[in-house]
Amino acid sequence: MYPYILYFSVLFYAFALVWGLGFAPADYVQGNSFRIIYLHVPASFLSQSLYIVMAIAAGIFLIWKVKLAAYMIKSIAPVGALVTFIALISGSIWGIPTWGTWWQWDARITSTLILFIMYLGLISLHSSFTNFEKADKFISVLVLIGFVNIPIIKKSVDWWSTLHQPASITLTNKPSIDPTMLYPLIFSMIGFSGIIVSLIILSSKVHIFKRESHKSWVKRNV
Amino acid sequence: MKLIFVEFFKLKMKLRAWLGPILIFLLIIISFPLTVELSSEALNDVFYSILWIASLLTIMVSVESIFLEDYEDGYLEYFYVANNSLFSLIFTKILIYWILIGIPISCLGTFFSINMSDDISSLNIALPSLLISTYIFINLFALGNSLSLNKGSALGALITIPLLFPILILLGKIVLNANFGFEISNLLLLMLGVLLLIIVFIPFIISFIIKTHLE
Repeated sequence: MYPYILYFSVLFYAFALVWGLGFAPADYVQGNSFRIIYLHVPASFLSQSLYIVMAIAAGIFLIWKVKLAAYMIKSIAPVGALVTFIALISGSIWGIPTWGTWWQWDARITSTLILFIMYLGLISLHSSFTNFEKADKFISVLVLIGFVNIPIIKKSVDWWSTLHQPASITLTNKPSIDPTMLYPLIFSMIGFSGIIVSLIILSSKVHIFKRESHKSWVKRNV
Repeated sequence: MKLIFVEFFKLKMKLRAWLGPILIFLLIIISFPLTVELSSEALNDVFYSILWIASLLTIMVSVESIFLEDYEDGYLEYFYVANNSLFSLIFTKILIYWILIGIPISCLGTFFSINMSDDISSLNIALPSLLISTYIFINLFALGNSLSLNKGSALGALITIPLLFPILILLGKIVLNANFGFEISNLLLLMLGVLLLIIVFIPFIISFIIKTHLE
């Protein structure tokens, strides 16, 4: 199943990139440098959503003891760290032409860095235990407690006066971005999310095989 | 009640575990003026940040072995078997740590802030916020160290400090408001509310984690 999602979303993302990089008009103020939005916005969006998915999985694991939910957390964490890293790097590259600086100790940027460190902490917590059943419980507790930081990251651009602009696209309001730039952005978000979802499927597949390696169905299938 | 005395005695007997952190706090605070020029005005703007960071680091150092010895000599397991609950033990432990380390640190920090600002009214800012924040820090570091029990304290610090950032932001807001002459009591009450939530829930979470460790 997942190869098709991967192929489809790679195509989709490539299409969105060609549209966004080649055909969307240049920004009035920022010129061509705004085009990194087609990487930065999907990555930043996913960096927070993946944590929310992890928190939901952690709740499912702790309440109903669904083993697969814990595997899900374990396999999302590295992908989430990767995506957050992409968001940080692309944002910092974007910062050079627009703000004139690589890095600013600004609310949104700092809180995204904290999110990155939280992902790394989750990975290192899980990998420091040899008993995976214990590690699953600990990591889900930590994910749930760390969830207090997500609203702060989400709302940081509204609560503090910062360099980073508030969200242009929300579900409730009309987007403050022109449709000629908006449509490729939406397409790139769908494509990028598809790529990341297929990455997660791949990594959870590996993780399930690793954890269930003593079961007979694994031996039959591998 | 007996539990409180036992835990108090246990921590008090380990001189390095409660006197050490207080001295570390003093040393950190002393070392900051040394790094800027001694009579510089620059320190006057940032000494509150120094206080928060110094208290955070001190708590981090002092709480790192809060459960380790009891875990290794089997007292935690014994207590769980005898009482079928760890809540009271953990609650008492954190309380004793706060009484023996948190309160002295808060008093020292308040003294330092009065000294730095030449203004007795900074007592109103530093003392309540230090008292509340040290209790929150001890709770959360105890949580982190229970997760990384016998895996080394660096891991515990690594996973706890990101959880503390909301509290640090709140502390920063308090100082900002105080500098502008606004009310700070609402922020202090918010912090107190967070503290009350934490006091109730964190021992439950820690006892769940420790039970998982004991399995």
